[in-house]
Amino acid sequence: MSEAAAISIDDVRDEAHPLVDKDLVRWHLIAAVFFMFTAMLGGFIASLQFLNEYPFNGISWLSYGRLRFLHTNEVAFGFLVNSFVGMLYYAVPRLTGRRLFNRTLGWLIFFVWQALVLLTSIGQLLGKAQAVEWGETPTGFRPGTFELNYVPVDFLIEVGAVLLAVNLLYPIAKSIHKRLYVSLWYITAGMIWLILTYVMGNTLPEWTLAGSSGGATAGLYIHDLVGLFVTPFGWGLMYFFVPIILRKPIWSHALSVIGFWALAFFYPLNGVHHFLYSSIPMSVQYGAIIATIAVEIVVTTVVVNFFGTMWGRGYALRQSIPIRWFYTGMVFYFTTCLQCSFQTTLTFQEIIHFTDWVPGHAHLVMLGVFAFWNMGMIVWLWPRLTGHEWYSRRLLGWHYWLVMLGLLIMFLDLTAAGLVHGFMFKNMAPWMRIVDSLKPFWWFRTFAGAMIITGVSCFIYNLWMTAKHDKPYDYRVDLVHDPKEAIANG
Amino acid sequence: MDRFPSIVLAAAFGCFAISMLLSALYPWAITDAKQPEASIADVAANITEEFAELKRAYPVSFRQKLGDAAAAADAPLEAMQAAHAEALQRGRDLYIGEGCWHCHSQFVRPVANEEARFGHIRTPAEENNALQRPVLWGTRRVGPDLTNEGGKRSNDWHVAHLHNPRSTSPGSVMPGYTWYFREGFQVFRRIDPNKAEVAGIDPDTAYPYPGLYDTEEEARAALETIKANLDPTVAEEGDRLFVREAVGPDGDALCIIAYLQWLGTWFPEKPTEE
Repeated sequence: MSEAAAISIDDVRDEAHPLVDKDLVRWHLIAAVFFMFTAMLGGFIASLQFLNEYPFNGISWLSYGRLRFLHTNEVAFGFLVNSFVGMLYYAVPRLTGRRLFNRTLGWLIFFVWQALVLLTSIGQLLGKAQAVEWGETPTGFRPGTFELNYVPVDFLIEVGAVLLAVNLLYPIAKSIHKRLYVSLWYITAGMIWLILTYVMGNTLPEWTLAGSSGGATAGLYIHDLVGLFVTPFGWGLMYFFVPIILRKPIWSHALSVIGFWALAFFYPLNGVHHFLYSSIPMSVQYGAIIATIAVEIVVTTVVVNFFGTMWGRGYALRQSIPIRWFYTGMVFYFTTCLQCSFQTTLTFQEIIHFTDWVPGHAHLVMLGVFAFWNMGMIVWLWPRLTGHEWYSRRLLGWHYWLVMLGLLIMFLDLTAAGLVHGFMFKNMAPWMRIVDSLKPFWWFRTFAGAMIITGVSCFIYNLWMTAKHDKPYDYRVDLVHDPKEAIANG
Repeated sequence: MDRFPSIVLAAAFGCFAISMLLSALYPWAITDAKQPEASIADVAANITEEFAELKRAYPVSFRQKLGDAAAAADAPLEAMQAAHAEALQRGRDLYIGEGCWHCHSQFVRPVANEEARFGHIRTPAEENNALQRPVLWGTRRVGPDLTNEGGKRSNDWHVAHLHNPRSTSPGSVMPGYTWYFREGFQVFRRIDPNKAEVAGIDPDTAYPYPGLYDTEEEARAALETIKANLDPTVAEEGDRLFVREAVGPDGDALCIIAYLQWLGTWFPEKPTEE
């Protein structure tokens, strides 16, 4: 097989020498969807605690506190990691013309990773969690000693991330192209940052740094996990999928490189903004605030670039469901980042810190942006992986509208609740008065959660039926160059 | 290929290193590096009144969790300090594992009237101890801040609240941690019927004696001891003693309460002026 042929789109389905290992991609996506659903279900059940309607009262391992660990950790490590890895196993060979380092290694990582995510959840349900947000993964040792009290999940995840890097960086290093496309910049850096961030956040605050400097690194970890792992993989894949679907190159390559460098420089400096007014030195807090506002400028360049790419293809929003997911996510991305540059100021922090505003913001980022992008990518890829046309396009629409409106309600509701909480708090309202005032908002939040879960259930049913039924997917759509025809049928 | 290792790797490692320098190493160097981290033994040296009271009120659970040496009535100071240290560490581990820190902060800020509501604001030195590794600032306040919780409420309040938060704080959305409670047999004394009539309370009202025993025999033996030690002038009170099934905090619950009652009571030694 010549190198020129290796990048032909046809080659993706060359049975003898597949460039992309479709089984591996498919199973990662199945695992991702499974954990997305369990994480959302965990979040929904946890929300019932706020209504005093909790179904599992008195059962230690299903109690609210422990289920909340499962919610956030499965979203990050079960859903997003699996989905991103699946997408990268698809995109990286396509972008470099090279297969992964080793197929068997890929399967090994797949099985070990699922075991680690399950062990994380089981450990947390058994009460072995750690006290760093998103670093709650059990360390396996009693803090400060080397007495083993559980599986050392943290350590195994670090080994797994290094193996994953080997598998993914090898084709990039051996790329048949002289220049690297911007996606590969993001993916390479993101892979390295994932390892560095994970090691930093799961060792320093728990093993060496107590008190405020440990708090600073914990803040760094929370932020870097979003900014240096989820964001670069997310944007890297957007730079890959959007031009493919819209049948045109990205609007400005210069802007895309500016966006990469500014993310690399400013994003990691933001961490301390999670703990403003804390005992971390004020100079460090001011630095984090300025870096956060700088990120907003970066974000604007990236979002402008993508809307520039969309220019003249607006009908894709109506016709292509993946594009609809991607661009809705981008609007929400711009919203969260704009919100960030305000809420990082000391003025906003005084009111909103420790209130429901924060989970509102977190849901907008993790669900509204990154989960939306991943769901869009799955919608685009699933027929190509299974070889079957979608079972029901109508259900795809239901999935989009239920999840999108559910998220919007949840975001607006929690933001409003945060303001009520913050101002009542500052005005010295008695604690129980504040809690009582928040209860109506918490009912709305649970309702919004139910909408999202219903939408995702439609999606899962649709994925299942697509895999089962027998209407074949017409691969010729991928070879169509005319954008109108390609978007309408893709 | 030749561009890959140099420039992207420089971006990845270089920018990460700069961030570690500015957001981790620098704050560490100007605060925590100046003072060694206090050990658990340091922070547990000063035994809280509430911890001593937990030992008196729940002797059986106390002995089961923290050992005979500390449970003895005349336990030496060192044994009590060691038990206190163990209780704080265990209590902190449970506080983390149950996710208490998701809804209760340990972070009083110098704004929004927080000092008036929650009290003292911690300095970096007060947070530089082994029980704040990792630091437990928390994420969100569904319940109040616990920075200065120690001594604010009685042990009894904490026991009732941990079992069913609605019993002490109507409207609370906190879960009850009933799995940190055990069933057993306890000695009770029924109220004097004459006094009950005068005071207008239910004559079946009974007050518990310390000690929740695993078997009925142990509880009966304890009843006899109490009866034998009653002051002769109130000997008739012995007839109103009885044993019945009861629920009380187990050793883990005592550790959680010991930890909560410790919060905000420890301060690093101030440097002596020359």
